[in-house]
Amino acid sequence: MTVEAAAAGTADTAPGTPVLEVDGLSAFYGHVRALFDVSFTVAPGASVALVGANGAGKSTVARVVTGLVPAGGGTVRIDGADVTGHPPWDIARRGVTHVTEGRSVFSSLTVEENLVLTFRAELGAAAVPAALERVFGTFPRLGERRGQSAGTLSGGEQRMLALARALGAPQRLLVVDELSFGLAPVIVEQVYAALDDVRADGCALLLIEQHVDRALRAADHVVVLRKGAVVAAGTPAELSASLDELVLGPGPAEAG
Amino acid sequence: MSLVTARGISKAFGGIDALVNLDLDVEAGEAVGIAGPNGAGKTTLFNCLLGLVEPDAGTVELDGRRIDRLPTWRRSRLGIGRTFQRLALFEGMTVAEHLLVAEQARRGGISFVRDLVERSEPRPSELERVDATLELLGLTDLADRPVEGLSLGHARLVELGRALMGPPRLLMLDEPSSGLDAAETARLAAILTDLRHRSGTAIVLVEHDLQLVEAVVDRLYVLDFGQLLAVGTVRDVLADERVRQAYLGTDR
Amino acid sequence: MTELLSYAIPGIPFGCVFALMAIGLVLTYTTSGVFNLAFGAQAFVSGLAFVSLIADGWPRWAAAVLAIVVLGPAVGLALDRLLFRRVRTASPVVKLVPSLGLLIALPQLALIIAGSVPTIAPPALFLNAQHVYLHVDGVPVSGLELSIMLATAVVVAALLLLARLTPFGLRMRAVVESPRLVELSGINASRVGATAWVISSCFAGLAGVLLAPLYSQIDPQNYTVLLVWGIAAAVIARFESVPLALIGSLALGVGQQVLAGYLPPGVIASGLRPSLPFLVLLVFLPFGRRNRIEDPLAGCDPPPSTLVEDARRYRPASTLAVDGGRATQVVGVWHRALRAGSSESLAARALRRPTSVVAWTLAGLAVLSALTWVSADWLLTMTQGLAFGTVFVSLTLLTGMSGQISLCQAAFAGVGGFAAGQLATQMGWPVLVAGVAGGAAAALLGVIVALPTLRLAGLPLALATLAFALLADNVLFPVSWLGDGASGVRIPRPSVGPVRFTASRPFFLLALVLLAVSAGVVKRIGDGTTGRYLAAMRGSETAASSVGIDVHRLRIGVFAISAGIAGVGGALYGSLQGSLVPNDFNYQVSLVLLVVAAIVGLGSIGGAVVAGLVYTALQRAVATLPSRYAGLVAVLFGLATLSYTRHPEGIVDFLGGRFTELWGRLLAATRQAPRAGGAGVPGPGAEPEPAHGTVRP
Repeated sequence: MTVEAAAAGTADTAPGTPVLEVDGLSAFYGHVRALFDVSFTVAPGASVALVGANGAGKSTVARVVTGLVPAGGGTVRIDGADVTGHPPWDIARRGVTHVTEGRSVFSSLTVEENLVLTFRAELGAAAVPAALERVFGTFPRLGERRGQSAGTLSGGEQRMLALARALGAPQRLLVVDELSFGLAPVIVEQVYAALDDVRADGCALLLIEQHVDRALRAADHVVVLRKGAVVAAGTPAELSASLDELVLGPGPAEAG
Repeated sequence: MSLVTARGISKAFGGIDALVNLDLDVEAGEAVGIAGPNGAGKTTLFNCLLGLVEPDAGTVELDGRRIDRLPTWRRSRLGIGRTFQRLALFEGMTVAEHLLVAEQARRGGISFVRDLVERSEPRPSELERVDATLELLGLTDLADRPVEGLSLGHARLVELGRALMGPPRLLMLDEPSSGLDAAETARLAAILTDLRHRSGTAIVLVEHDLQLVEAVVDRLYVLDFGQLLAVGTVRDVLADERVRQAYLGTDR
Repeated sequence: MTELLSYAIPGIPFGCVFALMAIGLVLTYTTSGVFNLAFGAQAFVSGLAFVSLIADGWPRWAAAVLAIVVLGPAVGLALDRLLFRRVRTASPVVKLVPSLGLLIALPQLALIIAGSVPTIAPPALFLNAQHVYLHVDGVPVSGLELSIMLATAVVVAALLLLARLTPFGLRMRAVVESPRLVELSGINASRVGATAWVISSCFAGLAGVLLAPLYSQIDPQNYTVLLVWGIAAAVIARFESVPLALIGSLALGVGQQVLAGYLPPGVIASGLRPSLPFLVLLVFLPFGRRNRIEDPLAGCDPPPSTLVEDARRYRPASTLAVDGGRATQVVGVWHRALRAGSSESLAARALRRPTSVVAWTLAGLAVLSALTWVSADWLLTMTQGLAFGTVFVSLTLLTGMSGQISLCQAAFAGVGGFAAGQLATQMGWPVLVAGVAGGAAAALLGVIVALPTLRLAGLPLALATLAFALLADNVLFPVSWLGDGASGVRIPRPSVGPVRFTASRPFFLLALVLLAVSAGVVKRIGDGTTGRYLAAMRGSETAASSVGIDVHRLRIGVFAISAGIAGVGGALYGSLQGSLVPNDFNYQVSLVLLVVAAIVGLGSIGGAVVAGLVYTALQRAVATLPSRYAGLVAVLFGLATLSYTRHPEGIVDFLGGRFTELWGRLLAATRQAPRAGGAGVPGPGAEPEPAHGTVRP
């Protein structure tokens, strides 16, 4: 799979080295095998969507990539370096940001503290004010509530904050799980607009989206998972016709 | 007469208004949707109706009876069932037990003595109703599984089933489709419409998935900053200029 | 004014030491989510090391550095690595038990290593302890007092600067909620956590060293008291605010001295000062952080995933058994599958049958032995085990089934025993009737404890019950009409008509019957409608009330029944011993009871019975072994605490589950053998689908 991207790789990596390379990945949750031999790559600056039914293993892929869940086999490479088994903080320092599914903010910290925590660690203290400005520009609602503790935000606002933490400090790869989960449609559009800006800065995207149609519009490459294995990969144009069948499997659709 | 009449509900958390002087009416057997941007106060409204949060002002009537001073469990027994946006299942219990515990709690009280004297096996009638609800939701095969092993989609159905025992006259669903894929959402819509036809249960649905909303509800309330922005049929409300601005964005 | 000052100033050093303890508790609680009660023990270890080293001729500064800066953090880090790191995301019981276990075991281990308690008077950290350096309004301030105040001021100021001037403060608060989320921000969460552990362990160590000279000799008892005051201050600080912890501690330190100075002598008054922490806890706990903050990443794990793992780790009495190559989850003993005919429930039952056959056979053999060949003193131990088994059964109901942590179960048992004794000896009631009445008195007390704590759960509830146990120790037990102080209360052995239970074997049978009745009550409640309500309440109180369960009434009821059973157990124990003294059921017994119950198994009645036997066997070992081996019991206790973090379901359920699993594998293996018909496969429902797939360990 080769997805040519607008932005070039950073100076210290060979041109053409994918920002993320997943090879033969498997994963287990206890006794349950969640992933079977998953392989794909994300080129620098590319936008890849992972689609599949619930339980297909999309979130698990994201979690193994960022080190939250240990790989049961296979390798994960970031900019050519093998990071399999590395702790999440090490992978994050290599420029990978992960917006996890659900409410992923620190409820006891204020909105601003949530942002400062991440920005300071990823960008350094000097760059924090600029990053804050940028994020409050994208999400004025968060600016209004900057001093409020994140736990008192509504579910959707917390989601917004989680995205803001990632969008303010984008680097090499941004992994977004269940992007539109709990967000009002107008906010979803804002978020996609913000993702476009991030891409323009040369950051690659790995999107996991419940609304497949919307994800296809934002991605230039699609990887379809079913029951923990890759069943198809290609451009949205190539796949959109057969997508339903690929996602749900042949024959009558089994929900759940 | 309305099944639910809420008048002037207001609630603030730490100086931030979650609900401002809100009125809500639900007729018996009616399905009402509540939509609105994030933070508009939708979940708070549910909590106020069921008594999990005490509103700063306002009254709630169920069938003409004031219930806003009653504890949550009393309101539940009067016929209000709800699901939670963040799953709140009972760890360690099976799917069928979730439904049974709700059935028994809504219909009977707590009696340690009865347990000691007569072992209090579930009555056949109770088990029948549990089975019927499992059947309705397509959970029969999973009846004796502990909920820990379920997928999110099934877990949401267990919450729905638990809310359906009793059965309730008013069913409040808090973003039941979040985390479900398209096929599961379609099945949920079918279940809800089927439910209304069969039992005439009134439904209040908080939901972002507009397809689901359109498929299920008769009237839609749109909230913004805790205030009512618009109310009417789904089509009318979605055509409303202010609603489009605040909620949908203009390109839809 | 001078009189007030003369009481208040000696209170300040106490307040400072409480503050160091409270700040340590707050720091670790906010960073690791563990309320580390073992700080009481760590403080003792450092204090003991400091005094011992000086007794060995070390210079004061070197002893201080070693005890506070080296030993304190070393012990703290070791505990974090070995224990606490594993339980961060666990349920409140699983978090609490290891720290309680260490609180009990660690001082004993330290005493073994130190060899003996140094006989010298503990010196101040610096300055001359006895010398008066200044006067405040005519009240002298000694070097001891001055050194404590100065040392506390310096370290607290340093901590506040660290939090203000570096990103450390913010990171610490973030780690509390979700280490995984912190790591996703590129921050090494374990380093942040470890730093907090080091700092708070230093604080605990310093508290230990500073506390030592306030007493004439170093004694673990004083450090448990210190811990209790520290807990009270941490509660005032709502578990999160370092400045509030400091202010609260000083207020408590000064308050207790002033109270002691002004109150008239008397039983109630002398009980009031030690129960001040109780009053503080009761007043301030409801203002604590209402919402338990959950790790957001724990909640969004995908359903088919870690839940299985969680079930294995956190849920009592659940077992993954393998039947015919197919994984079957055997749900906890309280939950039978509703449909008796379903293949799932039949498979589970068939799998579990051999385990229960073995368990019942062992129990039967034990009873037979007790009635025939067992020697008199071992029979006594076994009977004591049955009496304590009754108390443990009450914990199974309250903590295991209902999820309510109780650290005052010994107080319930004590009140039951004392009331029974008073009724039997003073009023001349028949002993059995008095025992039942004692149970009723304890049940009433259970209601009294339940009412003010209705809104508390998890750690705050545990601390409130601990506070109640302290109040019982200091106020209820000393009064003449109940515990009657150190002299205790006599409880004769009962007789019913011609049947006398004075001999040891009849009494053993009586104890067995009472235990069986208690266990039957708990089992029936667990199996029935109420058991499902309790399980629902344990799962989510919000959801339980949303389906129509009156959670408050349920809690009051379950506290009453549990306390009543504990009370009967206490009366039974007292009657066996002939008399009861308050120390039989003081608050430390409550702590040990919960730890033993959790380690052995809170999830089943079998676990409670075994816990009773283990508890009395341990006591016997401590009492009869030569003193240099008594420490072995503490070592064992510590090791069991270590194992608990791996198997929170308890030893009994773990072994039972393992046995069931092995049996399932054996079945699977015979099923897969080519011999058709599956010879030797017993039980109905042992004919599920043919076996496929492999069994993963």
